[in-house]
Amino acid sequence: MAALRTDYSSLDDRTLVVLIGQGQSQALSELYERYSRLVFTQAVNIVRNRSAAEEITQEVFIRIWENARTYRAHQSAVSTWLTSITRNRSIDILRQRRSRPESHSVEWAEMPPNDEHVADSYERTMDIQIQRKRVRTALGQLPADQQKALSLAYFAGYTHRVAEALEEPLGTVKTRIRLGMQKLRRLLEKE
Amino acid sequence: MSSHLIELLPAYALGCLDEEEALQVSEHLANCATCRAELRAYQAVVDQLPLGVREANLPPRIKKRLMAQLTFPSSSTRCLSSGKWWGRLGVFMHRRFPVWAPVSLILIVALTIVNLLLWQQLRQTQIATYPEVMRVVSLISTDAAPGAWGLLAISPDGQQASLVADGLPHVGPERQYQLWLILDGRRISGGLFSVKPEGYSLLQVSSSISLFECSGFGVTVEPVGGSTYPTSKEVLSGAF
Repeated sequence: MAALRTDYSSLDDRTLVVLIGQGQSQALSELYERYSRLVFTQAVNIVRNRSAAEEITQEVFIRIWENARTYRAHQSAVSTWLTSITRNRSIDILRQRRSRPESHSVEWAEMPPNDEHVADSYERTMDIQIQRKRVRTALGQLPADQQKALSLAYFAGYTHRVAEALEEPLGTVKTRIRLGMQKLRRLLEKE
Repeated sequence: MSSHLIELLPAYALGCLDEEEALQVSEHLANCATCRAELRAYQAVVDQLPLGVREANLPPRIKKRLMAQLTFPSSSTRCLSSGKWWGRLGVFMHRRFPVWAPVSLILIVALTIVNLLLWQQLRQTQIATYPEVMRVVSLISTDAAPGAWGLLAISPDGQQASLVADGLPHVGPERQYQLWLILDGRRISGGLFSVKPEGYSLLQVSSSISLFECSGFGVTVEPVGGSTYPTSKEVLSGAF
């Protein structure tokens, strides 16, 4: 009799994490297919070094493999858990380097055209496409100075570094970050 | 509630507050449900920000390396539940010989230090450049974890270290301990660890900066996955 094979691509993220916690490497492989680009993109935008970002990506998924059993679904989505670990690790690496803050902030992506080809099969899921459009639309509605301040704050860390990079008073930067986040929250909570 | 603290919540959610302000907010959050709810709302915004950038492509070799690195955990719990003989042996030893746990901890500390020394012997060139011997920093407990202790054994080149700690309380599945390297007044994460069922903790630290440049070290309790800066009081601390 042929053995039953699990179709991991049909499982939701939380089930995958449970299976990863049981030592199923195919489940980790599937999770990697879904989120490795997101993790890598986040890391490379923070540390500004592809090689370091590749290592961080590996480290993040190794950490998922080792700590899958500690994941609590009621606390956050799997994608949130992944991006949180990625960001923490990337900012640690950035701070270890003690590099000067960059004045060139990461550009938020513009709204993709409707016919944009999506290479990743998982991205064809409506959920993530809709989420991506909502976030990019909301970011596009922020004034340029708030977009820039938020970009530097998210990808570079401390507000004083943001102020240094923008050559603006710390108080001004803090206000822009606060107003930008408040507006984003209103826009994203609306729908 | 202080309006000033509410205004800090967006930046706190972004993890970009200075340490002093972050600690102030963290202490306030411990006693304010309203601010915790506000923080969750801002955290939800932060969680979505990665979707705002255009995705970069990753080479396929990264996945190959990842899958090749996976080690399959063999916790005593899994051994017991699956009936593995070495799991049952471990339980028998612990019950029959209670002193086995501290004796094995001492052996682990000794083996860790020997391991570091052997590792250094393989890098003769680097050792010749760094005449300092391996240094050990004692980590003393604070009121938050009375009775706990730790040792941080730092390799002669200052870029590797082993942390051994004992007596730290278990903090549940949603939290972990995080080691901090204190450098120029900033706290840089040295890694995360959990307390093993036997009661001790181990962490291998690898740093691109020399640990000898650090003015001190600390351990705090953080959410699983770690934090970008300490969000609670230190449970262990030490300095050269």
